[in-house]
Amino acid sequence: MPEISKREEKQLESILEFKNISKYFPGVIALDDISFKAYGGEVLAFVGENGAGKSTLLKILNGDYQPNKGDYLIDGVSKHFRSPHEAIEEGISVIYQERQILLELSVAENIYLGRMPTNKIGVIDIGQANKMAQKIIDDFGLPIKPQTKVKDLSIAYQQMVEIMKAYSRENLKVICFDEPTASLSDSEIECLFEIIRKLKREGKIVIYVSHRMDELQQIADKIAIFKDGRYIRTVANGEITQQELIKLMVGRDLGDIYKNLDRNKEIGDVLLDVRNVSSDYVKANSFQLRKGEVLGFSGLVGAGRTELMRAIIGADRMRTGEVYLEGKKIVNRSPKEAMKNDIVLVPEDRKMQGILANLSVQGNINISMLDKNSNKFGVMDRKKEQAVAAQGIQEFQIKTPSPDKKILELSGGNQQKCIVARWIATKPKVLILDEPTKGIDVGAKSEFYQMICSFAKQGLGIILISSEMPEIMGLCDRIIAMRSLKIVGEISHDEATEDKLLSMEMIGVDAQ
Amino acid sequence: MSKSTNGEEKSSVFRNISSAIGGEKLVLIAAIIVVFILFSCLNRNFFSWGNIINLMVAASLVGLVAIGHTYLIIAAQNDLSPGSLVAFTGTLCALLVSLNIPLVISIIITLAVSAIVGVCNALMVNKIKLDPFIATLVSQAILRGFAYIICNGKPVAISDQAYLNIGTAAFIGIPLSVWITIICIIIFGFILAKTKFGRSIYAIGGNKEAARLAGLNPQKIITISFIIMGVLCGIGGIVFTARMNCGQPAANVNLEFDAITAVILGGVSFTGGVGNMGGTVLGIILIQAFNTGLIMVNVPSFWQYVARGVLLLLALTSDYLRKEKRKKVLLAASMKNA
Repeated sequence: MPEISKREEKQLESILEFKNISKYFPGVIALDDISFKAYGGEVLAFVGENGAGKSTLLKILNGDYQPNKGDYLIDGVSKHFRSPHEAIEEGISVIYQERQILLELSVAENIYLGRMPTNKIGVIDIGQANKMAQKIIDDFGLPIKPQTKVKDLSIAYQQMVEIMKAYSRENLKVICFDEPTASLSDSEIECLFEIIRKLKREGKIVIYVSHRMDELQQIADKIAIFKDGRYIRTVANGEITQQELIKLMVGRDLGDIYKNLDRNKEIGDVLLDVRNVSSDYVKANSFQLRKGEVLGFSGLVGAGRTELMRAIIGADRMRTGEVYLEGKKIVNRSPKEAMKNDIVLVPEDRKMQGILANLSVQGNINISMLDKNSNKFGVMDRKKEQAVAAQGIQEFQIKTPSPDKKILELSGGNQQKCIVARWIATKPKVLILDEPTKGIDVGAKSEFYQMICSFAKQGLGIILISSEMPEIMGLCDRIIAMRSLKIVGEISHDEATEDKLLSMEMIGVDAQ
Repeated sequence: MSKSTNGEEKSSVFRNISSAIGGEKLVLIAAIIVVFILFSCLNRNFFSWGNIINLMVAASLVGLVAIGHTYLIIAAQNDLSPGSLVAFTGTLCALLVSLNIPLVISIIITLAVSAIVGVCNALMVNKIKLDPFIATLVSQAILRGFAYIICNGKPVAISDQAYLNIGTAAFIGIPLSVWITIICIIIFGFILAKTKFGRSIYAIGGNKEAARLAGLNPQKIITISFIIMGVLCGIGGIVFTARMNCGQPAANVNLEFDAITAVILGGVSFTGGVGNMGGTVLGIILIQAFNTGLIMVNVPSFWQYVARGVLLLLALTSDYLRKEKRKKVLLAASMKNA
């Protein structure tokens, strides 16, 4: 026992310091000159919008990313981890939302993965490992056995195994939780909090990233606020109200870019009527979209926006609900059927779901036009293909040396334009854009905004999913907020403020 | 002055040819020429008309299977069952004919069965989500088993003259089996390069999920590709048995090995989405010249296995190098365009 208290004492002195950390990605400043300190024996929460830089900072801390500028120090010593492995060796652990454990192995095997106790001749001593694991399990007060296979445990206990794995390292100094409660029930969350408090008592530096305000109040000692890749300030829990906190996280003016947009003023009849649509990945939701309307879908990552759209276009199987287009019931069992019903989706993940990397610009623009560009024997008409590609390249000002260039040679923004051109060529009535400006530069973004407005003027119904508040507020006639796989509210263009939207997304109610 | 312009012209002509055919194909053509010269030096009979005909006849069966593999591998699929399927369909057709079923009907039944085998392979890939390698490993074993079962393990002799004629007929000195393969290459080459179906194969091979979201039906395209492979194997089985005068359940082991090697040598990427029929033709010629040459210069048969393995390794290495080169070119280009 005295030994442990000695260890505690030493831990109490732990200080983690970020000094002028900057991280750039092509066209994006992910982190801009971040400096602050975190202390042992405290739970420090990170809050901020999607893309504010919280996850990027964690990834720098655990060696996944290398900072372009700046430094971080642990107990005054400058560190530079080149891989997550190095970070773990030095006592830094990050517990992610997605489990990083091996389901087929036992609890003990997972905890001591890669450093199982061995006997004199180097054979793994599973009995010893189980004994050691049991000690930690008792310490944590959990009703599980070291021999149990992890796949037989609930999600919550699987997460506990991960925490125990980090805890089992003698030198554990910093433990970070990235949205740890996303898939936990209330009682499981309480269990997790008990363990976090234990870690805190032992003097560890606990970093806790979450979007859930109510949780932060319960568990955080201090809250560090991030915005647009910058560190704003740290407040003590309870020092300011939730609403004030949210204001600090957003609070910025819409740029001129949005004010100068030539938005469509004439909104027509109901075009798309979605009634109670659900899938395996999203709860039942209903909404309507009008002709010439830009309808925004706002929400945090994992709120179910993409999943709802995938159910509507038949990319995931629809479990319940009906979809009506111009008053007529339609059934989309696949994206192909949705396309025939004039509903198309520009997917979120351009690289994995959008572009066909092996094909040319022309091939990519034409891939949804195979039927229209071929004769009745299925032979392609090269002239038609060239015409469609030429029109797309001209209309959307796609910068490419030639239509025959591989699409991967283009910049991200121009690749995205090809995907939009692909769908506009099919003359759709409803265009769904899922994070269309993600990872593209500012210039291309404003071109996209003009494009969206002109589509609306042509009478298309546009659904815009975006995690960028200014974008969604500047472009959309109406904004629907989603939280935990459900639509929680709706707000018109004129009433929308970032505070109101974020309140709906994070707390589920409209803050007034 | 005039000399240098001349030189430039020459080099630009060369560049035009090279860009028209593709630099990679020129390397392949060079390799074929080297192989022919090498084996001709070692055995004078190698470059005789008789041997060229033999080479083409032998290549005709590998060729049919390689057409199927070109489709499947571009679609990011694969098939390990052709050897067994060719043996099975050949034996089946010989058996049906020996039961006095009219030749035309026997052929139709055989091809229908081949198509069904293709559907089964596709079902395993599409519905049980098996890796195509594993799925077709299953059918490889099962089909070989059935090849033995339907004839009790004994070769089925063919007495039907019309059937035997398939194996012996020739047109302008070139055997029918070679013509069949040439016609199939032209037809399927055209479909791959010029039709909706061909485009779809490239699209799903490049990125199946993106293609699905773009309104294609990957499962249907994969199924049709496997059916095409099945029918090609059926044709191959019928022609092969006709040439051998009997249906042999033990024949054509490792046929898919040569076909896959030919396709990869021809520039089809193992990861899918890239390649064309012209490359496959060159690949077929190269591998058949190589195999025939090894036999003619009396390389012991055990070493021939080793040589084939090394050739496949070379093909895969060149595939890797091509990909690396493409990556570098793309990176340079995208940096320029960014």
